[in-house]
Amino acid sequence: MTQATVSPARRTEAAAQLRRGRILRTVRSILRHLLLTLLAAIWLVPILWLLVTSFSTDRGINVRRFFPASYTVSNYINILFHPDSVAQFPRWFTNTLVVACFNCVISTCFVLMVAYALSCCRFKGRKLLQNLSVIVNLFPGVLAMIAVYFVLKYLNLTNSYAGLIMVYAGSSGLGYLICKGFFDTIPISLREAAKLDGASDARVFFQVVLPMSRPILVYTIISSFMVPWTDFVMAKMILNSGLSADWTVAIGLYNMLQKTLINNYFALFCAGGVLVSIPISILFVIMQKFYVEGITSGADKG
Amino acid sequence: MAEMVLTPPLRADGREPNFLQKFGHAFVHGDIFTKLSLVVWGLGYIGHGQLIKALLVTLVQGLGLYFLGTSGIPALKKFGTLGTVQMEMQFNPLTLKNEVNNYDNSFAILLLSVIALVVIVTLIAAAMLVVQSNYALQAQKAAGKKPNNFRQDITLYLNEKFYVTLLTLPVLGVVVFTIVPLFILIAVAFTNYDQQHMPPAALFTWVGLANFAALFGGQSLTVTFNYAFGRVLGWTLVWAFFATFTTFFGGVFLAMLINNKKTKCQKLWRTLFMVTIAVPQFVTLLLVRNFFSDAGIFNTLMSNAGVTDFLKTIGLLGQNMNHIPFLTDQHWAKFMIVLINVWVGVPYQMIIATGVLMNIPSDMLEASTIDGASPWQSFIHIKLPYLFSVQGPALVTDFVKNVNNFNVIYLLTQDVYITKDQALASSSAKEVDLLVTWLFRLTQEQYNYKMAAVIGIMVFIICAVFTLVCFRFLNKKEATFS
Repeated sequence: MTQATVSPARRTEAAAQLRRGRILRTVRSILRHLLLTLLAAIWLVPILWLLVTSFSTDRGINVRRFFPASYTVSNYINILFHPDSVAQFPRWFTNTLVVACFNCVISTCFVLMVAYALSCCRFKGRKLLQNLSVIVNLFPGVLAMIAVYFVLKYLNLTNSYAGLIMVYAGSSGLGYLICKGFFDTIPISLREAAKLDGASDARVFFQVVLPMSRPILVYTIISSFMVPWTDFVMAKMILNSGLSADWTVAIGLYNMLQKTLINNYFALFCAGGVLVSIPISILFVIMQKFYVEGITSGADKG
Repeated sequence: MAEMVLTPPLRADGREPNFLQKFGHAFVHGDIFTKLSLVVWGLGYIGHGQLIKALLVTLVQGLGLYFLGTSGIPALKKFGTLGTVQMEMQFNPLTLKNEVNNYDNSFAILLLSVIALVVIVTLIAAAMLVVQSNYALQAQKAAGKKPNNFRQDITLYLNEKFYVTLLTLPVLGVVVFTIVPLFILIAVAFTNYDQQHMPPAALFTWVGLANFAALFGGQSLTVTFNYAFGRVLGWTLVWAFFATFTTFFGGVFLAMLINNKKTKCQKLWRTLFMVTIAVPQFVTLLLVRNFFSDAGIFNTLMSNAGVTDFLKTIGLLGQNMNHIPFLTDQHWAKFMIVLINVWVGVPYQMIIATGVLMNIPSDMLEASTIDGASPWQSFIHIKLPYLFSVQGPALVTDFVKNVNNFNVIYLLTQDVYITKDQALASSSAKEVDLLVTWLFRLTQEQYNYKMAAVIGIMVFIICAVFTLVCFRFLNKKEATFS
């Protein structure tokens, strides 16, 4: 009945409006995706430049063209198998790996210990400790670093990996916040039940809380493992002997870009940069997954 | 009866007695062993039948006292002057050679004194604890209970006192690697430790507030710290403000763009932007700085595209320039640094904003759509306030982090940006320096530790005041919302 009362003219008008709306939506969608493509391109240009330059046949920076004239894998072969006095990538890689492993073990233990104590144990001075840690965190890291350098120099620990590991891991206990946030969401009833069954506080920590904290455990392990790979300042300050074989990846690669070296080593720098990025990206992706899992599963429990 | 004496009385105001009162009560009412344990920790435990514990605590006490006796106290004696004997070559008639005399090392004196003070405070506090613990043992005995044996003590540290076991090592690490160095640096701010007074060859000593006066009053003769401090502080605050807000809003914008229902392949877009995080920051920053260098690839591209000439005609570029000074002119450099930081920071902020936006209660958004709110209105009135309320504290900490953002500034400008301002150059500062990079280069180029320490203290004061004020404001706001 109503159909019949609507005039044909009005019907075509409505159809046109519908069509216009659909066109508008398509245009908007295209614009939205164009904008995203443009942004993604901006964000990827430097990465692309890193990648193509690492395959370039020019040893220095090619300032004339973005893509190299010809491609080769010799940069990778050189940096991996033909170390010279400047580029000793395999040595740097092993050095960094050693430091990273030690730092990973110590830092993870410290972070877990502090987080558990401040989250699950009740004792006098708990609030005080937390407030103190906030205040200490406000001091600029660079400032403390200079003083730490003098202490290490006095103890003859500069230019040693022991010193570097101590600096990385020593105050790692301060970074307990994320982990504590996770422990806070584990129901108290679980811990109490275990205790009623006669488990000691230590057993509750190892057999109840830790197995439930896999996401945050993985996150803590990976993030502390990544510190020596990405840190630049501390390593530069402490490993200052000028002996290339002693360096970590970060200082080694930085050194390749000195004014006198850059024209011979820029392509090698790029190859090195890509090589470091590969394991870090993999770890980063894993960490990201576990981090999100850690946060959301925590929310579920809470 | 025994109970009456053995538990310390409540205070007049009915609250628990504090640490000192408990100690006083324990010491006054303790038996001979409890009293002796203040001096030799082990004696009390021997008297109360805990031999292994007695051995352990006496060992710790012995180590502490040994350090104080051999190096701590001698250093503390010279703490007032920080040493008086300069390093010299002296003729030794026994070996017939020139030898270094027994000189004072000011830095060693300062370091050992700080450590000695920490050790003394710890020993005193520990002694008080030992007395209290012995008093508790005495009370147990009086009540007819047997004192714990060593195994039971260990069980205690895995149960009620598990936190002690957990916290000892990390706290020790923080004290040694953060707190002691901080004390030393605070002390250095009140000395004349610089290139002319470098131990071990020379001595340095206390100068009171002279360094702070140099920073604010500027009556020092050759170096114009006063001027440099003003310039650098100004840029640090401007930078921290822009760096924090550009990345925050950039991240929110990108997250909303990607998470919109009409966007296809959301996961792909997110991954593309996250690729930049996966490459270590020092690699990308060093790369970008070469990308934008004066004779670099980007300048070539700009010149080929005619942008360089266009900038000349509209007057943004001097007529005699044949390149755009992206990182070598102060205004361009400041602009580029903020821009490059957007590139570095937005993907991080996007991840965080994605998480927060997903948690917005959907009924709120639905209700607003039913009421006829446009997407823009729902962004301004619902999403943005929600983001601010959740992200408020994070913004404050981000601001502080940016004040201390060493990497971005140092890696982009070191060896690239050269200041033309003589007054800044003479104090090792640049227009693009943050306070932290400036103090770092003061120590590296001028060995001017005294001023670096003063600047470090200023950074701390700025960050602390900012954080306190913001959190107070945020807390108040939260209270009005709920």
